Amino acid sequence: MTMALGAAQVLILILGAPLARGIIARIKAWFQRRQGASIWRPYAELGKLFQKEDLAPPTSSLIFILAPRVMFAAALAVAAFVPVLQPFALFGSVGDFVLMVYLLALGRFFLALGALDGGGAFGGMGASRDALISTLAEAPLLLALAAVSISARSASITGIVGWTLRQNFFEISAVHILAFAALGMVALAESGRMPVDNPTTHLELTMIHEAMTLEYSGPSLALLEWAGAVKLNIMLALLISLFGPWGMAGSLAPAALGIALGAYLLKMLVLMALLAVIESSMAKLRMYRVPDFLGVAAALSVLAVFFTMIAKR
Amino acid sequence: MMVLDMTFWSFLALLGAIVPLLQLGGRSRFVRALSVLLLLAGSLAGLVVAGVCFWQNVPATLRLPSVAAFPISLTVDRLSAFFLFLICSVCLPVCIFSTSYVTHHYATEKARWMWALLSLFILSMIVVVTASTGLAFLVGWELMTIVSAGLILIEGDSEERIHDVYIYLLMMHAGAAAVVAAFFLYWPYAHGLEFDAIRSASVNLPAGMRTAIFLLAFVGFSTKAGIIPFHLWLPRAHPIAPSPVSALMSGVMLKTAIYGLVRFGFDFLHGGPRWSGYLVLAAGAVSGLLGVLYAIAEHDLKRLLAYHSVENIGIIYLGLGSSLLFLANGAPHWANLALIAALLHTLNHAFFKSLLFLGAGAISHSTHTLDLEELGGLLGRMPITGAAFLVGCCSIVGLPVFNGFISEWLTFRGFLYGSNLTNTAAQVALPLMMGVLALIGGLAAACFIKVYGVAFLGRPRSTEAENAAEAPLYMRLGMVLLALACILLGVFPLTVLSPLASLAQILVPGSTAPGEIYFISRVIPWVALTLLGALVVMRAVWRRQRVAAIWACGLPGLTSRMQYTSTAFSKPLRSVFVSVYKPDRTVSRLPTEQPYFANSISYRSQRTTSFEKFLYRPVVDAIVAAARQVGRLQTGNIQVYLLYIFLTLVSLLVCLRFLR
Repeated sequence: MTMALGAAQVLILILGAPLARGIIARIKAWFQRRQGASIWRPYAELGKLFQKEDLAPPTSSLIFILAPRVMFAAALAVAAFVPVLQPFALFGSVGDFVLMVYLLALGRFFLALGALDGGGAFGGMGASRDALISTLAEAPLLLALAAVSISARSASITGIVGWTLRQNFFEISAVHILAFAALGMVALAESGRMPVDNPTTHLELTMIHEAMTLEYSGPSLALLEWAGAVKLNIMLALLISLFGPWGMAGSLAPAALGIALGAYLLKMLVLMALLAVIESSMAKLRMYRVPDFLGVAAALSVLAVFFTMIAKR
Repeated sequence: MMVLDMTFWSFLALLGAIVPLLQLGGRSRFVRALSVLLLLAGSLAGLVVAGVCFWQNVPATLRLPSVAAFPISLTVDRLSAFFLFLICSVCLPVCIFSTSYVTHHYATEKARWMWALLSLFILSMIVVVTASTGLAFLVGWELMTIVSAGLILIEGDSEERIHDVYIYLLMMHAGAAAVVAAFFLYWPYAHGLEFDAIRSASVNLPAGMRTAIFLLAFVGFSTKAGIIPFHLWLPRAHPIAPSPVSALMSGVMLKTAIYGLVRFGFDFLHGGPRWSGYLVLAAGAVSGLLGVLYAIAEHDLKRLLAYHSVENIGIIYLGLGSSLLFLANGAPHWANLALIAALLHTLNHAFFKSLLFLGAGAISHSTHTLDLEELGGLLGRMPITGAAFLVGCCSIVGLPVFNGFISEWLTFRGFLYGSNLTNTAAQVALPLMMGVLALIGGLAAACFIKVYGVAFLGRPRSTEAENAAEAPLYMRLGMVLLALACILLGVFPLTVLSPLASLAQILVPGSTAPGEIYFISRVIPWVALTLLGALVVMRAVWRRQRVAAIWACGLPGLTSRMQYTSTAFSKPLRSVFVSVYKPDRTVSRLPTEQPYFANSISYRSQRTTSFEKFLYRPVVDAIVAAARQVGRLQTGNIQVYLLYIFLTLVSLLVCLRFLR
């Protein structure tokens, strides 16, 4: 039963990902005084792309076909680390946060290779810029997770979530505030959102993620888009489960699970609204300002690790 | 175990005498081919011996008749067995690779020397890791340096090459001097150089002597390992050696330094001075970060790989350093974990780095260049080499289900447990090292995206790359064997981890096998299965791809020159870390009176590392100045020399009078 629920959590993260994108787009439209598209539109787009034919550049190799699939498979594996409804996840107790971060890196590595395989200028441009951002994002990501893990005295995601659940919300320490800020900033960079990358741009000068996917079409593009949405969804769910897991089901009773689902959706909505506010109110940073942005995240995460020493005394 | 001993000794005899003699003395082709076969069979036998010693913990010993006061003997204990296994398991694929490489690259005369020296080189490394007396160790150590220098010179002996080899020999001997001193400082306490005597003498060594020996061993072995700032020789010597030799130098020879450091730091000194952990950690962090940053800026494949060796030795040092720190703070359990991490990374690095160097050899065989800017699109032309090289890239970056990940993960876990120590400095330093290791990992990923993307993917950037053909069979076989080893160790790490845990228990007394090794061994196959399952399911949405032209902003005539180059790819990272590179740029426009309407612009950017300028230059200058002062004694006048002899005699007599 627990296993089935774990699988259901993965399905929620994977299948709900396009919806999250749709809702964020809708909230952003509301900010811009537009009517906006339906929140279900990302599903229609994925459906359309899966129907279309797959185009490949004349000089591309197997890597070009493999990259979106590896990226999606990695996103799927990472989704199995994140608790949603209960403090349990399929890989949550047998794997730890380091493994999770490195699985994310696996997907990114292959995406960048796929971009370079196109043989044009844009793929290289995107891969090069993405390499800069993901390189600098890795240290704050791991340090922020390490700070939380040191506080909880557990390296597995489920262990951390279980510990946080037992704490009182109002006694939350400075470690968590610092780590939350750092992880939030890294989440923006990792999932390619403003102010690091503009997911809706098609202007050569500003493209990062879009430049990498430029040569993709049809099912391959659908998988890439979907994997990107899953990554965003995972990042948000991770923030929720690490820093605000209260409401998760302690038992497998239907009522408790219902409450957990409701709480999860509510928290998700709050985070998405927050994301929409950030994206609507901030301009995209110049690329050479991004290291400063991630530098702040790194400083916050280092402070978080320092504070774990003080919090323990 | 008579059989085991006999096998091992015949293997050594094969390497040391039979193969070189057959090669250099053999008249017919048949004899030479036979000797190569013997070398391969010998490596296999050595692998079996090492495997039995390492997994079953059966020691093998050879005592040679002692020469005067200096006994020479070899013993394969558990630590030696691990390194013997490392050497043999890399040497076998490298020798298989060499069978093709040597026939394609060298005339008969050079080929003979190549095989003879290669065999001696392997022998010297085995002597170093199995020596059980200081003298045997030092003989092996010296032989290793000399023979590898000879192997570098096989490729050619131009002025530049000789200069690089000279720097190599110079630095190796400076390092060897420190190692010799570390051994001989034991003499008054151990009354000999047998390892057993040294081990028992270490227990009641004066504190000052402990520190001195540890520091000397650290400097000596770090020079061999290429730790920054002693790395100067490494990016010079590795790229100019023949590719199989580079693979052995980078994959195996550097590891003998790790062996030496573990032997001294753990086996002899049981952790050395209390602050030793901080020293090793700092050296590892600096080498790891600077090594990978220098690598990113390179576009010569072998130089780039050489800098990555600096980086990976840095990661090994991070593991060793945290282990020493745990040891000093009375936490043997975690010291055990961190030591396992360091030793496993040593083995992993041996596999993937030699694989990558062999890949570089295959590339240069097919395209006659190692400049990344001239390559591109090789995967379609050399599919097997490309696939094996990709495995090497994924492993070195530390991606899950490849071997590099396991050891980096264990290192991370070691750092995380640092937060449980009671010593505040260690408690803060260790978890923060996670950030350093993560940054190293991120930079390595960026670098290998560049390497693989520019060399193997996209369009070919030169006609050589366009006409590249797949490497010969034995080259491919050598690479595929190493790639399989990388995947095998990545998915089923317990095969090596459980004997390593027993080894670490010997080196760190009072510890038990850490649970983490079982933890990771349980989850990784599941992760691999999930990834594989997802890929299989996704075959359902796989459709035949139609080939279509790529987007070129609506303009025709897209050429391969419009792709991102290696230099362009690394530009953002180089700008962010500009303070590390300190490039020296000169731009000149012609004609000078019209800067905005120049006919030609020439741009030159040069990097010299600060180490050469601020560390080595003053030392070299000081030595030269001192030599000049000493040179004044040499007047060339015979009377003055007679005076020197007379003064020496008198002073010796005076000394004798007072010493009585």
